Amino acid sequence: MGCFMPLRKKTVVSIIALGVVTFASIIICPMIGIVTIGPQRILNDENLRFIFFMIRIPRVLVALFAGGGLAVAGMICQGIFRNPLADPYTLGVSSGASLGAALCILAGVGGSVLGLSVVAAGAFAGALCSIVIIYSFAWSRESNSSTILLAGVIVATLCSGLIMFVHFVGGLHKSFQIVRWIMGGVDGVNYSLLIMMCIPLLIFFIIAWIFMPQLDQLLTGDNIAHSRGVDVRMSRNVFIAIVVLAVGGIVAVCGPIGFIGILAPHACRMLVPGIRHRLLLFCSFLSGGTFLVLADTLARSLVPPSEIPVGIITSLMGGPFFLFVLFRNKKHLLI
Amino acid sequence: MIEIRYAVEIRNVRVSIDKNEILDSVSLSIRKNERWAVIGPNGAGKSTLIKVIAGLLRPVNGTVLLEDNDLRSYNPRKRALAMSYVPQKPDGVIPYTVYDFIMLGRYASMGLLGQATDEDRRMIETAAGICDVKHLMMRTMNTLSGGELQRVLLAGAVAQNSSILLMDEPTTFLDPAHERLFFDALERLHENKQLTTIMVTHDINSAIYQCSHIAALCNGKLSFAGGTEEFRSKCPEILEDVFGIPFKRFTCNQKAESVFGSWGVSCH
Repeated sequence: MGCFMPLRKKTVVSIIALGVVTFASIIICPMIGIVTIGPQRILNDENLRFIFFMIRIPRVLVALFAGGGLAVAGMICQGIFRNPLADPYTLGVSSGASLGAALCILAGVGGSVLGLSVVAAGAFAGALCSIVIIYSFAWSRESNSSTILLAGVIVATLCSGLIMFVHFVGGLHKSFQIVRWIMGGVDGVNYSLLIMMCIPLLIFFIIAWIFMPQLDQLLTGDNIAHSRGVDVRMSRNVFIAIVVLAVGGIVAVCGPIGFIGILAPHACRMLVPGIRHRLLLFCSFLSGGTFLVLADTLARSLVPPSEIPVGIITSLMGGPFFLFVLFRNKKHLLI
Repeated sequence: MIEIRYAVEIRNVRVSIDKNEILDSVSLSIRKNERWAVIGPNGAGKSTLIKVIAGLLRPVNGTVLLEDNDLRSYNPRKRALAMSYVPQKPDGVIPYTVYDFIMLGRYASMGLLGQATDEDRRMIETAAGICDVKHLMMRTMNTLSGGELQRVLLAGAVAQNSSILLMDEPTTFLDPAHERLFFDALERLHENKQLTTIMVTHDINSAIYQCSHIAALCNGKLSFAGGTEEFRSKCPEILEDVFGIPFKRFTCNQKAESVFGSWGVSCH
C-alpha cells in the first residue's frame, strides 16, 4: 500500500473495526445454532464440545474462507473486466458447476473421489469445462474483456437451459435434490473438506496478492496499462485461471452461493478511497467472509431445528443492504 | 559502449485491419533528442503509426527497432522503461485520484512488491509540476475537464521517466495558454535529459515551430519525412498535396516567419 496517498484516519479506523468484527464473529458464531453452546458448556459437556470443535468450528471456517474467496474473486473480475457487474458467476463458472452437479445427480452416481463426493467433483469439473469453453472461443482471436464477458454470459445461459432440461427429465425427487444443491450451503462440512477447499484458495490468495499492482494498472485501460509495462494479456489470463481454481473449489464444497462477489467488493470500495487493490483484497476478504459466517449463523438458528439454505439468506440480507449503500454513495461506484 | 544509432527505427511497416490497408511500407528513422510531429488528414494512419511504435499493434510486415533492438525482444517492463505512450484519451473512466494515477506511472521502476520510495514520490512531484497539475492531485480523474485530463495523462507518462515519449494528439483539448505551457514543458524535458518525442498533431504551425522533424502521412504512406526547415521550404505545396485543399502562406511582420492555413482560400 506504500505506493498511494496516505490513508485518512477515518478509513484506518473503519478497517480496524472490520477486522475486529471478523475476529468476534469467528469466536462467537460457533456458539450459536440449534443448541447454544456457551464457553462454560464447552468445558463441561463432552457431546457439546464435540459439536463445537468438530462441526461448528469447521463450518464457520469454511464459511469464512468461502465468503472471503468469493469476495476477492468478485473484486478481481470487476477489475479485469472493468465492469461493476462482473463476478465469478458472470463468467459462467457457477452455471457450469451447477450443470456438472445436476448431471451427476441425474446419473445417480454416489461414492466419492479423493474425499469429495461425486456431485462436488462433478461441480468442479463443470466449472473447469465452462471456463475452457469460454477461453477457447473468446481467446482464439484478438479478444478484449467484453468478448470474454459476453462469452461467459452466453455459456451461463446455455448451462441454465441444460439444467432445466435435466430437471425436466430427472423426475420430482432428483429435481428437488438439484434445486437444493443449487441453493448452496455450508452445512455438513468437516476438516478434510475445509482443507480441500483451502489448498486451491491459498494458492489463489498468494498469486492474487502478488498480482495486485497489475490489477491496479488494468483499471487505467489496456493501452495505458500496456505502456506502463504490464503484460496485459498474461495478467488477465493469470487472474482468470486463479479465479476459476478458487471458485471451482468453493462451489464444489458449498454450492453456488451468489451475490457475495458483487456485494462485498463494492461495499469495500466505498470504504477504501481510490482503488488500491492490495488493501481492497484484504478488506474484501474480511467483509465477504464475515458476511457469509453471519448469514450461515442466521440460516441455522432462525427456525430451529430446520436450516434455511444460506443462499436464500445472502440474497435476502445482501440485496436490501447493497441497494441502501449504493444509493447513498452513487458517486463512489466508479468501476 | 556502442553508440545507439536510432532511438526509434521503423522498417517497411505494413498494417492492415480487416483487409483495410492502414499503413503501407512506412520506414522512418528517428535519432535521439529529436522532436517529431506526425501530421496528416483524418484516417491517414497517424494514430496507428504511434500504436505500432508503442507495441500496441503488431504490424503485418516490417519491424520496429527501439534503441537498435527489435521491439519484440523487450519484455513489458524493460520496454516501459525505454518508452512511454500518452493516448488521445483514456478508454473508459479511470477510478483513481490524480496523485494515484501519476504514481501508477512508476510501475516499471518499482519492485515486485510495488512499494514507492522517496525517489518515486519526488519523481511524481516533478512530473506534476512540469505538467501544471499540482493543484489537481486530490481530484478524482472523472471530475477533470478535457484539458486537465490530457495534462494528467502526460504527467503519468513523464513520471515514467523514459527516454522516448509518444503522444497521440496531446494538445487537442488544451487552451492556448496551456498549449504554450505544454511546449515549454517539453522544451524543459529536452533540456534536462536525453528525450526523444514523437507526437501526432493537427496543428501544422505548432509542428513547424515546436518540432525538429515532421512526418507527413497520407493514405498510409509517408509523403514527407525530414527536418522542419526543409518542410517549411516546401510549404504550402506539400500541405496541399497531403490534405487536398489549397493552403496559403501568411507572413508575419517583415521577418521570415510565416504561418500556413487555408483561411479565406477558396476550395473547389
